[in-house]
Amino acid sequence: MKRLAFAAALLCAAAARAENAPAAGPMDHAKAPACLESKPQCAATAEPAFAKDGRLWLAYSVGDSIYAAASTDKGKSFAPATLVAKSSGGVIDANGEARPKIIALPDGPIVVSYTTRPEKSYSGSVFLTRSTDGGKSFSAPQKLLEDDGQRFDVFALSPRGRLYMAWLDKADAEKAKAEGKSFAGSGVAVAWSNDGGATFAGKKILMDHSCECCRVGAAFDRDGQPVFVWRHVFDDNVRDHYAAKLSADGATLAGGRVSEDQWATTCPHHGPSISIDAAGAWHIVWFARGKARQGLFYAVSRDGGKSFSAPEKFGDDAHAPSHAYILAAKDGLHRVWKEFDGETTRILQQVSRDNGASWSAPASAAETKNASDHPLLLERKGASYLSWLTKDEGYRLLPLARAAAAAPRHTRAAQIEAGAR
Amino acid sequence: MRRRAVFWSRAVLVVALVTAASAVAAFEFQPYGRGSFAELRKAHAGKPLVVHFWSVTCAPCLAELPDWARVAHTKNSFDLLFVNADHEGDRARARMRLEKAGLQGATHYAFADDFVERLYFEADSAWRGELPFTALISAEGRLVTIIGAIDDPEIAKWIGGAERK
Repeated sequence: MKRLAFAAALLCAAAARAENAPAAGPMDHAKAPACLESKPQCAATAEPAFAKDGRLWLAYSVGDSIYAAASTDKGKSFAPATLVAKSSGGVIDANGEARPKIIALPDGPIVVSYTTRPEKSYSGSVFLTRSTDGGKSFSAPQKLLEDDGQRFDVFALSPRGRLYMAWLDKADAEKAKAEGKSFAGSGVAVAWSNDGGATFAGKKILMDHSCECCRVGAAFDRDGQPVFVWRHVFDDNVRDHYAAKLSADGATLAGGRVSEDQWATTCPHHGPSISIDAAGAWHIVWFARGKARQGLFYAVSRDGGKSFSAPEKFGDDAHAPSHAYILAAKDGLHRVWKEFDGETTRILQQVSRDNGASWSAPASAAETKNASDHPLLLERKGASYLSWLTKDEGYRLLPLARAAAAAPRHTRAAQIEAGAR
Repeated sequence: MRRRAVFWSRAVLVVALVTAASAVAAFEFQPYGRGSFAELRKAHAGKPLVVHFWSVTCAPCLAELPDWARVAHTKNSFDLLFVNADHEGDRARARMRLEKAGLQGATHYAFADDFVERLYFEADSAWRGELPFTALISAEGRLVTIIGAIDDPEIAKWIGGAERK
């Protein structure tokens, strides 16, 4: 078993490079996408960002094209999309965990990133493009790095206006492979831009051995430095979570293990989420199916990642709760997640008015009976919104109901006890 | 001149035939959608059935494909089906991986429905899509599901038991 786990870890490193793939056969029965228009509803995922002027921007891909579309009525309708870029060969990462990203900078530029993978390989390349004319046009895409091997990129805009990026990088894994050494997972790499996304500095792997199939979470601490959370590969191929803050000089990541779930060997495809409140508490939600615990969990660190609270379980295990997202906003600490009962997918929400000590009863925020994206949260002028793309209903931006705050609260102690059962 | 023309026309015919033969030899992915899990169970009722779900983005899955190929090449008392859980865009990679592992002769399905929560739920209401995932169904219809590698004790025991029948 251990040998297989080791072989699996080795292959984790190698999985990014496949070779000699023949073309898909004409006999494949998989259906072609029914919808190839440039509207959000034709996409499988949509990434939202509010601009300073109040417009809501979405980045998404349809086929081999990446689009950006803006809404002036909070997602009810969108202006005709702008073609941001076309993939010049290769598949665009566009799933719940890895998808085109967009950020609207306060002084105007709109920056979009996306990852493509060659047809015959999993060695991705992150591309960046920006608009300086309000989204009417985007610059020719530029590769973030010369070498391939990056995926799962994420943007984070600091309160001071510095744009950070983090991604999972295979460079160290490839180097080890070339030297005949074993290497588990990918590396966590960070870069930053002081010129509105035109150029990036840093671009270094700061910590090795992240799991390579899950999204990275990002938030800002009180001092304006970014904190990242990712699924890490610990000893014996255990894939639990780690959260770490970037040092002021951008040279190191320092933090701690969020929990000891003891989940080994399988591929979760299920990344965490982090948000930091005004008091500097790191709030984290994640999914685990480890020996120690299974399900969705929440923990908080009030000492900058040195220690984390006991994991608190949430979600209804009878409905496969998944893909939780957390947001510390002026109107409360919100968490949302997906549940599925065999027919209907629902987004459940809870709010905490005491920084995570207690939560409102779970309430359904939205539902669908067909395919859907992961739920995301974002804030605009002190109000929090759920961003969710579903195949049947299209894109929805929903203000998180304030009614949740009035619902009966669960004490944290009771929730921990329930999670332990 | 005419002889050369005949030679070339024959050569073209041979190439065409070889191409056609290799096209026939290439395996098909049968569509796996809503209801497929129940249909497969029904179609294989009365005989033990192993359904193995895998993905090209799952390194442990790829590591053990050769092991599954060995199982597939053994004369078993159970039926064995493979389901690729990737999006259509990754079908070429999936095909390559299966051929590389020597699994082109097995029976293959592939996700043909993007409502993946439903596909997961139909196989196991607690499954969120983690891989590798294997469903073990006895001749009497008893279902056991395993998230983990082929050397998981449950899978090893079950397959071994089925082989001994």
